[in-house]
Amino acid sequence: MTARRLDGWTVRGRVFATLLLAVYPSSRLYSQDSQFGVLGLGTPGRYESVRARSTGGAFTPFDPLSPLTEAPLADLVVLTATAMEGTSYRQIDLSGSTNSVRSTRFPLLSVAGRVAPRLAVSAGFTTYLDKSWDVTERDSTLLRGALERYTDGLTSDGSVADLRLAAASRLTRRIAIGAGLHLLSGSTRETAERKFDDTTFHAIQQLAEVRYSGIGVSGSILIGVAPGLSLAGWARSDGRLRAKAGDSTTALTDLPRAAGGGVLFAPSPSVKIGGSVAWRSWSRSAGGGPGAFDTWSWSGGAEIGSGRMPLRLGVRGGQLPFGPGTTAPTEFAAAAGTGRTFAQGRASIDLGVERLERRSTGLTERIWTVLVGITVRP
Amino acid sequence: MWRRLFLISAAVIAAACVEDLTTPGVCPTYCPANQISIADTVLYDLSRDSSFRGYVLPHQSALMLAADLPGIVDGRAIFRINPSMSRIRLNPNDTTTTAILGSDSARMLLYITRRDTNATNLTLRFFRLPKTVDSTTTFSDLSGPFTDSLRTLNIDSLLAKTNRKDSVTGDSAVVDTINNRLVLSIKFDSAAARYIATDSGAIAFGIRVSADSLASIAIGKGGLVGPSLTWYVQVDSMGVTTAHRTLGTFFASFATFVSSPPAAPIDSTLAVGGVPSARSIMRLAFPRAIRDSSQIIRATMILVPAVPARGTPIDSFAVEIHAVLVDLGAKSPIAVDVGHTDSTMIHIGRADTVRIEVTNILQAWAADSTLPTTFVLAARDEAQSFAEIRFYPTIAAARPSLQITYVRRYPFGER
Repeated sequence: MTARRLDGWTVRGRVFATLLLAVYPSSRLYSQDSQFGVLGLGTPGRYESVRARSTGGAFTPFDPLSPLTEAPLADLVVLTATAMEGTSYRQIDLSGSTNSVRSTRFPLLSVAGRVAPRLAVSAGFTTYLDKSWDVTERDSTLLRGALERYTDGLTSDGSVADLRLAAASRLTRRIAIGAGLHLLSGSTRETAERKFDDTTFHAIQQLAEVRYSGIGVSGSILIGVAPGLSLAGWARSDGRLRAKAGDSTTALTDLPRAAGGGVLFAPSPSVKIGGSVAWRSWSRSAGGGPGAFDTWSWSGGAEIGSGRMPLRLGVRGGQLPFGPGTTAPTEFAAAAGTGRTFAQGRASIDLGVERLERRSTGLTERIWTVLVGITVRP
Repeated sequence: MWRRLFLISAAVIAAACVEDLTTPGVCPTYCPANQISIADTVLYDLSRDSSFRGYVLPHQSALMLAADLPGIVDGRAIFRINPSMSRIRLNPNDTTTTAILGSDSARMLLYITRRDTNATNLTLRFFRLPKTVDSTTTFSDLSGPFTDSLRTLNIDSLLAKTNRKDSVTGDSAVVDTINNRLVLSIKFDSAAARYIATDSGAIAFGIRVSADSLASIAIGKGGLVGPSLTWYVQVDSMGVTTAHRTLGTFFASFATFVSSPPAAPIDSTLAVGGVPSARSIMRLAFPRAIRDSSQIIRATMILVPAVPARGTPIDSFAVEIHAVLVDLGAKSPIAVDVGHTDSTMIHIGRADTVRIEVTNILQAWAADSTLPTTFVLAARDEAQSFAEIRFYPTIAAARPSLQITYVRRYPFGER
């Protein structure tokens, strides 16, 4: 590697990255949310770095900076920290009416590095469940013998974060394994408001802070089948999510078990093609009742070019865990992105854009998401 | 290329920094599983109650009442003026005084603050009363002095005159539409407004009112709206009697009213209003389940009149319900701020069930569990009208009840 002088644009990039990390409050640990999450536990997080997400999630099982699997951490040579930001513009078509919302989330922060010749560890957080939503509703009810019209406003602001402590080791030249402990922690500030058209009835406003906690474990394996061809497998089991309002436990919800795998093929140093699949048993959260479904998801993507500015492309599809009716809502997304390293490879910025469409009975969401990721190797 | 990508990314991020997640709900399909739950209940067992009279006495009232309502009430206004002067300075620059020989004339100013505009031939009759009238003077004490009037004034006739001035009697009237009152300027001759030097000019008047029907008025008292008398007197000037010397304007030093029959005694009903004013105290058994674990959005006190509200049509009055600061029975200090007071209008002659919104009070009780759950029913302007209403008490079949609409605690965090 040859040393080179930092040009002006590199310096500005560093300043920009530093500012991004500094100015936003740390409590905004949200992921992209969805109207489908209002009915259930929330919107599950994605466990992907910007690089992996730009390939539709196909590279996620092989990405050491994505908190889905642990085994790829074994190949990290130096201490690495990464963070990402996502800005979403969401158009919601709900029973014929269209509404637009926007949000900014910081769903990932991770630090990883090698602590022994054969052992790498990682700590960080990502979004497990996004629980931010704001719903307004007009309706009426019979009160004191008269039909009273009202407007309801129900809001939830917060999320459940997945704090992961992971370790990985390369056992042989072909096999690496990893394991992780997941501490689920978060809170939501929830409000329930009702305003009657008849002001004789006073407005209702109740609010509470609900705290969530839980625990989970995961394990993964990375196998080099042949030069340029790798397979990955992972599994995860989460316990129960405990919700507490004040001093009272208000809900104990079974969390899903999950498993998945992927394949990565690199026919040349500048071309990588991958695919992955995942299954999650979200129906456990409803105790087998309606409204929650086991989900399958798949993705396929590629990274073309290497060095200064690779091009990443990918698609993914699958199901969403929460929705009305008897079948799970579906989603399909296409993504693209690129990245660039600076400072002799000690810093990099990844950019991505994703177009996502989610569908179910009476509801369609179309989302544009712009992603920015920053990675530092001091 | 990179520069453009960064600029575009920065612009997109900046534009989205203000979060907007509000969406319309299509419930129950795409709404939270839990909804706001409202309950409505009527409480009939309100514990205990009692009534007391004598909170505001006639001489403590802000108004003087005069009425002639056969079978209901005969009310008469009385007031006393104390000039305390027997001599006057002829020359403002000279301290020498001279004796007041007697009155030449006087002009009385009265503020009629309430009258029934449907009353015809509304007439005031003025009487001279003993200057000893005070707060202990009763209606029967003045039966003699109220027999021979000094003069009369037909208000309807005066208002019908050009410019509301009577050039013959010297009376005039001003209709104050802003303050909704009638100002009467009434001229008294030397006989009607006698100046008795041995009394230092002290004089007391009484006013009776009459009309074809609905004879009931309220006269202002105290401050600048009280009755006043401007005297023009005769004085001794170098042995020559000089008339029309202004003595000055004097306001009533004491004003009250007397009435017959006296207010009905308190019985088992819940009395509110009247003169002297009556109040009723109710102690509520406020369920802890509602008080501690819900949000009250509407509370209505339902009271059934034992008899139709008494008084004249213009005596419609507001009944207020006040929370008490401390429950000391009849002497409980009441809270008068908006957060602890609710009210409704009572219309004379109506026997309909009275509903008073008491949401403010119950919300205050729910917010502060140390407050006694006792409230007081009182007229808003106590002793400012003869009107009175009586409700059935808690021991009666048609007892008071309290309808409460409340919201249960929203099940935050539950699925």
